[in-house]
Amino acid sequence: MLKLQDVQAFYGKSHVLHGVSLDVEDGQVVGLLGRNGVGKSTTLKAIMGLVAVQSGSITFAGHDLHRQRPYRIPRLGIGYVPEDRRIFPQLTVLDNLRTGFDRRGAAARTEQLLEQAYGSFPRLKERQRQLAGTLSGGEQQMLAIARAMMLDPQIILLDEPTEGLMPRLVGQIREIIDVLRQASVSILLVEQNVPMTLAVSDRVYLMERGAIRHEAPASELSVDDDVIHKYLGV
Amino acid sequence: MNELFQDLVVQMLIGISTGLILALVASGLTLIFGIMDVVNFAHGELFMLGAYMGWVFFTMTGSFWLGLAAAALCVFVFGLIMQRSALRSLIGSDPLTTILATFGISLVLQTAAIWIWGPTVRRVGAAFTGHVAVFHLQFPVYRFLVAMLSLAIIGGLWLFMHRGRFGLWIRATTQDRQMALAMGIPVPLVHTVVFGIGAAMAATSGYLYAPILGVDPTMGVNNILRAFIIVVVGGMGNLWGSVLAAVFIGMLEALAVIWVSPALAVIFSFAALIVTLLVRPTGLFVAVPR
Ligand SMILES: Nc1ncnc2c1ncn2[C@@H]1O[C@H](COP(=O)(O)OP(=O)(O)OP(=O)(O)O)[C@@H](O)[C@H]1O
Ligand SMILES: [Mg+2]
Repeated sequence: MLKLQDVQAFYGKSHVLHGVSLDVEDGQVVGLLGRNGVGKSTTLKAIMGLVAVQSGSITFAGHDLHRQRPYRIPRLGIGYVPEDRRIFPQLTVLDNLRTGFDRRGAAARTEQLLEQAYGSFPRLKERQRQLAGTLSGGEQQMLAIARAMMLDPQIILLDEPTEGLMPRLVGQIREIIDVLRQASVSILLVEQNVPMTLAVSDRVYLMERGAIRHEAPASELSVDDDVIHKYLGV
Repeated sequence: MNELFQDLVVQMLIGISTGLILALVASGLTLIFGIMDVVNFAHGELFMLGAYMGWVFFTMTGSFWLGLAAAALCVFVFGLIMQRSALRSLIGSDPLTTILATFGISLVLQTAAIWIWGPTVRRVGAAFTGHVAVFHLQFPVYRFLVAMLSLAIIGGLWLFMHRGRFGLWIRATTQDRQMALAMGIPVPLVHTVVFGIGAAMAATSGYLYAPILGVDPTMGVNNILRAFIIVVVGGMGNLWGSVLAAVFIGMLEALAVIWVSPALAVIFSFAALIVTLLVRPTGLFVAVPR
């Protein structure tokens, strides 16, 4: 469904992605692991059209994303949860959610999606009139995920959703991933939390210096495998 | 009642009405800067263009309100075209490039105005000429009308930004451009429309100000400086900060006139600017961040 082939990307003059190839099939949860600074977040930004892609191809459900204007990409059904959450701090929780699917003539669908989001995160409903910037870090993470769900996506790109969260909330993120999987939403999951990634993913990619170095079904890997040490060990 | 007190009240009324007209210019400027990081050096010329367009239509039709609508509409469309053709592709690049671009456009517009309308100042009569007595002085009704209209337009902008989908897009884009794109908001369109709105507000202000100032090709450059001071004093990109700062600067200068000559009153605005930059560079009326 989502396929990257030999993607090269730059920040200005610095070459960050040196040919990334990966794919995510329908309904799959795919993990993307790697040390700090290897280009995991940049890979997600390249998919969203937020960094300059020099060459290679990115396709999603028959669309060539490389040729789309960036704001059309989420509208194709791709939700994005960036690593620093990037909620709109001066908007209320409700307005943050409304940025996603407040289209003309889609009022009924918006209501339905909103119900769904509040169903998954009751906490957000309690705080819907509060400015998002005043939420706790955990609540902001929930909001960032709920906001992406408002796009009614077929795939969600999750960038380190558990970063800085206490174990109980990490558990909640895992539950959300399971709920999304059951709703057959695909997930591309970037994480530092290796055990959690291996537990929820169908497949994982290991990344190093701007390229994918290894791919395996998650069930064939364990936390202290050699490959995991090679690409993630300190 | 003593005379000084009476002067104070009258000058304060003048200051508030001038401040509210300036608020129209300044809020457009700050809105544009806040959302696309463009310091629009052609804003004064949009103000000037509004005065000309409005008074051309006013003289033609004899209707003050048609003149107002024409000023806003013509310059709105001009703003859309200007942003789309000259600025859109520069957004996100070095701020110097947009400064040079808007400065260039301001020179072109000034020269064009001299070419079309000539360099002389045109006196235009106020549409409403009545006066109300404030103590021993006659206070022009027109100033009241203008103050009320400015407030109504700013209130209208606030409603537009807080009701409905497009307003939400504007607020989201102002806060985080990349994330707005990632939520499917058509950011380039939002930028263009906001520029048009800012241009239309400057134009309205120019039209309303014309009976007080007269209309000529340099009225933009001569008056925009105050708007820039207001934007900085109010906090770059802060809409309500700008409105408050405009009223503050308007009153400051009007009160100063009691003691110094009008030509010197602008010094007080500079003093306010310097104090702001020294003690509260993010804006005089912005809550201190905790
Ligand atoms: N905006 C930017 N401008 C220039 N270079 C950048 C920018 N963002 C990231 N980089 C560089 O690109 C490289 C890849 O960054 P990226 O954020 O994709 O890494 P990452 O794998 O997500 O790391 P982490 O695990 O720390 O989040 C790093 O060397 C980083 O310094
Ligand atoms: Mg990262």
